[in-house]
Amino acid sequence: MAQEPLDLHALDPEEFREKVHSFEFWFEAVEGYLAGLEHGHRPQTPEADLDEAERERLITTLCNYCVGETAALEGAGGLIQIAPNRATKVFLATQTVDEGRHLEVLTHRLRELGVSQPDAEIEMRAGRHLLEFKRKLLQLVRGRDWVAAIFAQNVILEAMEFSVFHLHSQRADPRTREVLAGIIKDERRHIGFGENELGRRLRELPVLRERLAAVREELDPLVLRSFEEAMDAIGAPRGERADLGRSYLAAVERLGFA
Amino acid sequence: MTPAEPLQEPSEPAAGSEGPRQRFVLDDQGFDEVPKKYRRFYRRWNGEGDSLGPNEALCPVCKIVVRSTRELRPGDRVYCMACMTRLVIVRSAAGHLEARVVY
Repeated sequence: MAQEPLDLHALDPEEFREKVHSFEFWFEAVEGYLAGLEHGHRPQTPEADLDEAERERLITTLCNYCVGETAALEGAGGLIQIAPNRATKVFLATQTVDEGRHLEVLTHRLRELGVSQPDAEIEMRAGRHLLEFKRKLLQLVRGRDWVAAIFAQNVILEAMEFSVFHLHSQRADPRTREVLAGIIKDERRHIGFGENELGRRLRELPVLRERLAAVREELDPLVLRSFEEAMDAIGAPRGERADLGRSYLAAVERLGFA
Repeated sequence: MTPAEPLQEPSEPAAGSEGPRQRFVLDDQGFDEVPKKYRRFYRRWNGEGDSLGPNEALCPVCKIVVRSTRELRPGDRVYCMACMTRLVIVRSAAGHLEARVVY
């Protein structure tokens, strides 16, 4: 077997991309932070003593996270069919597995909080803006609109989730915090994949910026309202919400259609 | 946080007129999001109070600190494995080094 290079940064760009899009890389990466966890948290992490109002707010928040994760699960799975090359298909397969895990651990967390029928509860508590976003995302996937679907899913949705989960984890009960921390680590790969894929496409075909700006105009408000609702439920102070869209807006600026 | 222990290597050829680069021995600082063999190339950014060493750059996409075995200079290429991004080191208008995404 070939020996790993002494300096990671000396790798050829194509070799680096091939490596990080592989299942081999994914296995070794997730092993580092998921080994030893059960349903996304350490088995010994105690359950918090939440009052009824806190528990209700947390259930509503987690139900909406489940809607977002279901959208990403169906989206990533569907995108495999239209991905332009093998490495991208393989990466999306790993993302699909990540999203399935997220949905599973969040659903399990709902059970731990006393929700006996999580699927019915998710349906009952799902916010309409997020459901509308999901519908539009899956429409783009079904329409085989690769750049628009990747933008909607891996830039808009993932960046917003990344920010919200990060903010939520700072004030969450210990078990929810650990579940969210594991998800955030997965999201780093997803947002990076989305931005890099779009960046390469836009470099080759700058005219796509107009198309993506139109998608952004349509979908931004839906996601922003969804996550504003989540912030209300989490109880995040107004002052901290300025951070909510920062990473997303920075990505859009780097891609050149802010 | 100490970025890494520098080892001066005067025998290394200088890049341009800037003189020899410092070399660094990287230690594993517990960054668990990449395979074990690559962990030493990364660390978490600890926010206010943290600072970057001459061999470190902050990934603008995912805010992880990327570390190199050598002092970084404009034009150097580094990779953020946590978000799979290729970066190039540039000198900002303010005069400090920063990483920019290369698509």
